[in-house]
Amino acid sequence: MNNILTHIIRFIIFVLAQGLIFGQLDFGYGIHPMIYPLFIIMLPFDTRPVVLMALAFLIGIGVDFFMNTFGLHASAAVLIAYIRPSIFTRFAPRDDYDLLKEPTANEWGYAWFIKVALSLFFIHHLWFFTLEYFKWTAWKEIAMSTLLSVVVSVIISVLIQILFFKRSKNI
Amino acid sequence: MLKFIAFFRRFQVFLVFLILQVVALSSYFSVMSFPRTKFFNSANTITGTLLSWERNIIKYLYLDEANQKLQAENVALEKRIPDNFISVDPKTSIINDTINKLVFERIPATVVNSSHTHANNYFTINAGTEKGIEKKMGVVSSDGVVGIVYDVSKHFSIVKSILTSNINISAYVKGSNAHGLIKYETKDPRRVKLTGISNDIIIKKGSKVLARGSGGYFAQGEPIGIIENMQPVEGKPMWDLTVRLNQDMRRLHYVYIIKNIHQEELQTLEKNIQELQ
Repeated sequence: MNNILTHIIRFIIFVLAQGLIFGQLDFGYGIHPMIYPLFIIMLPFDTRPVVLMALAFLIGIGVDFFMNTFGLHASAAVLIAYIRPSIFTRFAPRDDYDLLKEPTANEWGYAWFIKVALSLFFIHHLWFFTLEYFKWTAWKEIAMSTLLSVVVSVIISVLIQILFFKRSKNI
Repeated sequence: MLKFIAFFRRFQVFLVFLILQVVALSSYFSVMSFPRTKFFNSANTITGTLLSWERNIIKYLYLDEANQKLQAENVALEKRIPDNFISVDPKTSIINDTINKLVFERIPATVVNSSHTHANNYFTINAGTEKGIEKKMGVVSSDGVVGIVYDVSKHFSIVKSILTSNINISAYVKGSNAHGLIKYETKDPRRVKLTGISNDIIIKKGSKVLARGSGGYFAQGEPIGIIENMQPVEGKPMWDLTVRLNQDMRRLHYVYIIKNIHQEELQTLEKNIQELQ
């Protein structure tokens, strides 16, 4: 129960942070930092894939409300929710995951977190910018936006991990 | 039937993935093609209110600049009405063009949310149907044209910014009177392209680009920008004109929505002729 409440609060904070802060930042060079995929990464390991995608869809719509993107964020979020289990399997530690622990950097190490975040953010951003421009001639802009935004988003995600998700003291 | 259920259970995850993608993408692409959905956007009450709060907090940062602009605007307006034949009430001001007998009413509004770095940009303003805003009204700032109203709710509206690839505002170049369409192609939010001008027309760098007023969205001669660069298009007898916008879209805060009182008359008259649409 307590756990579900944590995730609901996290959901609201991520939507508001993305809509009111990170969505309004202006770096230029086509950089759009997006941090809400971090919510999808940090859902518990044993979340059922269908539930995972439903939650991703909801957070995507939440961000769409703010950014006037009419469903684009929802689509990209559902995609990474669909891919998340295979990415986690790909980077699994030798003796597999402990399902009771959360998928955060403090539990599984920053190397693991950066690998997972880089892959998922890259897929998310590539999908997002490709659909946004939606023409082959804009491949330069798509590539530049994707690569630069991935770097910025991952750096922000790592900072969030360092600042807000300390190692759990109980147990 | 059992086989069907077994099939569904086996591919459940993928099917849910497909359904959610279809819902999200059909919403996205239907909105990109024609304004219909009123769901996934910031004209919505909850997000509109939240964004207004944010705006209320940061608006003080721009007060100085805004005051200077309003002052300059007041001076310009006073010059236009030396004798107070046209009454100007504090809420809306009306410009009477006595030669063409066109009446444009300006409704003031504040930008509460905006983007300028995407390929297609929109911004939200805090005026809606309650203040008399309707779809397809022109939006200007004190410096020039900024967009066209795209969707309206009771208290907010979404404006399709001039930085949108299919904005197609009709414009002409002062001095040569050649007219074409404004399009946004580049990634640079300070510049747009003016297309459709034949390259046998002589055009000078630095000439003003003004709205032509077709469709009744803007008053004729509403400023847009100046010609910064010109090159012939390869393989076509056309100019490739780069226009520097008067209004820096990155710093847009106060706008006016233009209400054309003769809009309906203009539309009924032009309705039957395909080429004018």
